[in-house]
Amino acid sequence: SHARSWLTHTPTPPPRSPYPAEKHLVLLRDGRTLIGYLRSIDQFANLVLHQTVERIHVGKKYGDIPRGIFVVRGENVVLLGEIDLEKESDTPLQQVSIEEILEEQRVEQQARQESEKLKVQALKERGLSVPRADTLDEY
Amino acid sequence: PTPVSSPLACSLADDDWQEAHERLAELEDKPVTTREQDGPGSEEADLLGEPEDTLAERLTRLVIDSELEDPAIMQAVQTTVPQPGGLNSSIWDSSAVLRRIRGPLLTQEMPSVSVLDYALPQRPPQAREEERDPSERALPRRSSSPVIGSPPVRAVPIGTPPKQAAVPNFNQQILCPKPVHIRATMQQRYPAPYGERMSPNQLCNVPNSSLLGHPFPHSVSPVLTHLQRAQLLGGAQAGRMSPSQFARVSGLVGSPLPSVNPKLLQGRVGQMMSPASGFRAFFGAPPAPPPSQPQHPPGPGSHLQSLRPQPQMFRPDTTHLHPQHRRLLHQRQQQNRNQHRSLNGSVGDRGGHRSSHQEQMRKDPYANLMLQREKDWVSKIQMMQLQSTDPYLDDYYYQNYFQKLEKLAAAEEVHGDGPKKERTKLITPQVAKLEHTYKPVQFEGSLGKLTVSSVNNPRKMIDAVVTSRSEDDETKEKQVRDKRRQTLVTIEKTYSLLLDVEDYERRYLLSLEGERPALMGERKQKICDMYDNLRGKAPGQERLSDDHFMQIMCIRKGKRLVARILPFLSPEQAADVLMATARNLPFLIKKDAQDEVLPCLLRPFSHVLYHLPLGTVTSLVQQLTNLPQSATVPAPTNLHLTAVLQNKFGLSLLYLILSRGEELQSSDPWQARLARPCTAPRGGHFTLLPGHTGVREAPREAQWAPRPLLGGC
Repeated sequence: SHARSWLTHTPTPPPRSPYPAEKHLVLLRDGRTLIGYLRSIDQFANLVLHQTVERIHVGKKYGDIPRGIFVVRGENVVLLGEIDLEKESDTPLQQVSIEEILEEQRVEQQARQESEKLKVQALKERGLSVPRADTLDEY
Repeated sequence: PTPVSSPLACSLADDDWQEAHERLAELEDKPVTTREQDGPGSEEADLLGEPEDTLAERLTRLVIDSELEDPAIMQAVQTTVPQPGGLNSSIWDSSAVLRRIRGPLLTQEMPSVSVLDYALPQRPPQAREEERDPSERALPRRSSSPVIGSPPVRAVPIGTPPKQAAVPNFNQQILCPKPVHIRATMQQRYPAPYGERMSPNQLCNVPNSSLLGHPFPHSVSPVLTHLQRAQLLGGAQAGRMSPSQFARVSGLVGSPLPSVNPKLLQGRVGQMMSPASGFRAFFGAPPAPPPSQPQHPPGPGSHLQSLRPQPQMFRPDTTHLHPQHRRLLHQRQQQNRNQHRSLNGSVGDRGGHRSSHQEQMRKDPYANLMLQREKDWVSKIQMMQLQSTDPYLDDYYYQNYFQKLEKLAAAEEVHGDGPKKERTKLITPQVAKLEHTYKPVQFEGSLGKLTVSSVNNPRKMIDAVVTSRSEDDETKEKQVRDKRRQTLVTIEKTYSLLLDVEDYERRYLLSLEGERPALMGERKQKICDMYDNLRGKAPGQERLSDDHFMQIMCIRKGKRLVARILPFLSPEQAADVLMATARNLPFLIKKDAQDEVLPCLLRPFSHVLYHLPLGTVTSLVQQLTNLPQSATVPAPTNLHLTAVLQNKFGLSLLYLILSRGEELQSSDPWQARLARPCTAPRGGHFTLLPGHTGVREAPREAQWAPRPLLGGC
């Protein structure tokens, strides 16, 4: 608990007011972004999210996939923050349909994979090898 | 007589075992009326007596239970220890009893009280619980109540929330269907210091003679439905009980919120709630009042209290929130409250409340699934992690950062009144430093030690013996490597000295008047040690070689170290360092080719130079340029100087020295003239001595080669 300086800087779970619940944004270790109403939290940061929406961002576009209730194990949470409902609509990003965003995401993944492949190839030709980052969290 | 429930008290048990015995004896005399007839009534006698069959088990339990004091083991154990089937589980469950006899039998230390105090609630008065407090006797009840799942595990991890205040002394109303089982009599139970946990079974059996039909929105049902029980058991299975489980049962909490005051609830008249209420009651969660208005809870029943405009109250339990956060929260609540007030202003208090409440429920029936209690509990756990006996040690960067901010704010405040609130820190709990050693449990007359080792009492697993190698066997490489390692160690040691010295200012401010001379002395001593380390400590020996110093300077960290130490050294010492550097500069330059860290020395060097007398500066220049004293013999190409001039650091250093020399010379021309009989132009115009350097493009600085100095009359 000594390596905690900024960790403890984050505010403790706010006493949620009885008035319309605030939405929270959760970033998971695998890169997913979830937005929902935080219903419960515990000391391990296990979360219960209600009416959750998974938001996929590609470039300037984003798409929301409704997911329902999420129970997230605490160790997978990177960060959790409250969404300011007034400012939520005040974004330069453009919302698109689910199919479109998924398509965009697929295209982006493909492009990334290809560039990665080229890189590895180039390195191999030069006799260098990059260790595979299988266990790393990639966003 | 209260049972020995305080952990500290137990730690003094060595001397108090007699008292503990007496207490136990007194316990036996306690009214048996509140006890069940079967079995547990004789538990005290059992423990003090010696029934043969259970001795072994009890001993195991004792051991385990004492290890339960070790928070590190607690979690692991209570999930794995099997319930002795059919045994008089009262012994097992009421670890409180065990703890009472722990005094005379066992010696052990309890962890820091402060942590416990922070984690535990205020102990509810025992008397109140007598009739209603369910006991921990799970097994006997098992036969009669169809418990869903396996028998409850006694869960006492340190993080679990405490069992809260007793079921209050008024009519408990529930909205949910009646429980499956009702047990008429309750047993007296002394809550344990760690765990006033109620296993779900006990919770099931809180008497419900007071079950009434009419709905009572704000009460919490003391009796569980099947579902709730299942929830509880599920939770207990995991080995930790969260407050939610207790919330369903034990109702009112010793929370700071007076709104959850029994009196208030008593005053509330039952009121039919909207359909959402049925849902709410199922979870047994009353809506939590807005945090900042304890006397102004929304919802029915508050008609008893007038809607008086409340000044913004500083809620005590939001101190753990970051000040910014707290403010935002209050602001938002104010806004909302104003909104609602404006909406329902004319309707009247009752209507207003009701409609706002219903409106809230209509908007979000899932709100406040977590009770305020539960939120506080999680916050408490997080705050516990922030406890620190020495924040400067544990949280150095945070503290420093806020110090800087405060200084900025203080500077700004001179001009006006800025919002100071932003600068306030999160208030973390302060814990007094308690030196305690954890002594693992020991039995008299036993062979060997306990097999369980934990964070608090680690066991030596491997006997590592350090063998020193002989010098002869080592190869040259190894010697070199070792020498480098030694240097690295020296650097590290000197660094810790340096950090201490740098910290002295702060300590000085914090210390008392009497301590200050001692502090200064310590500081001086440390500075001397540092210098010794730098130059190769050998008390009584002439420092003939720069070797040690050179070793240090070859390492990047060493150079940085020197740069940081220089401000603390005395002028002579600093000059010595400078000389050594100048003398060996080409070598250093070569070694620094990769690191390029030498320039970091420039600033401290310039500071040092500022305080040096002329003579020193002169000799410095000589060292640096490696020119012979007499200029009569023109030296061949001076490799030393060449190297110096070809390096940025060398050049800068030379320039610094020369300019300093010039300053000194010009400021005190008489002395300079006396020192050198040859006439030197004051201020000097400097010319480049041709052929002296191999530098092709001589930068401007190289032209400033003061003839008088170099001439060295």
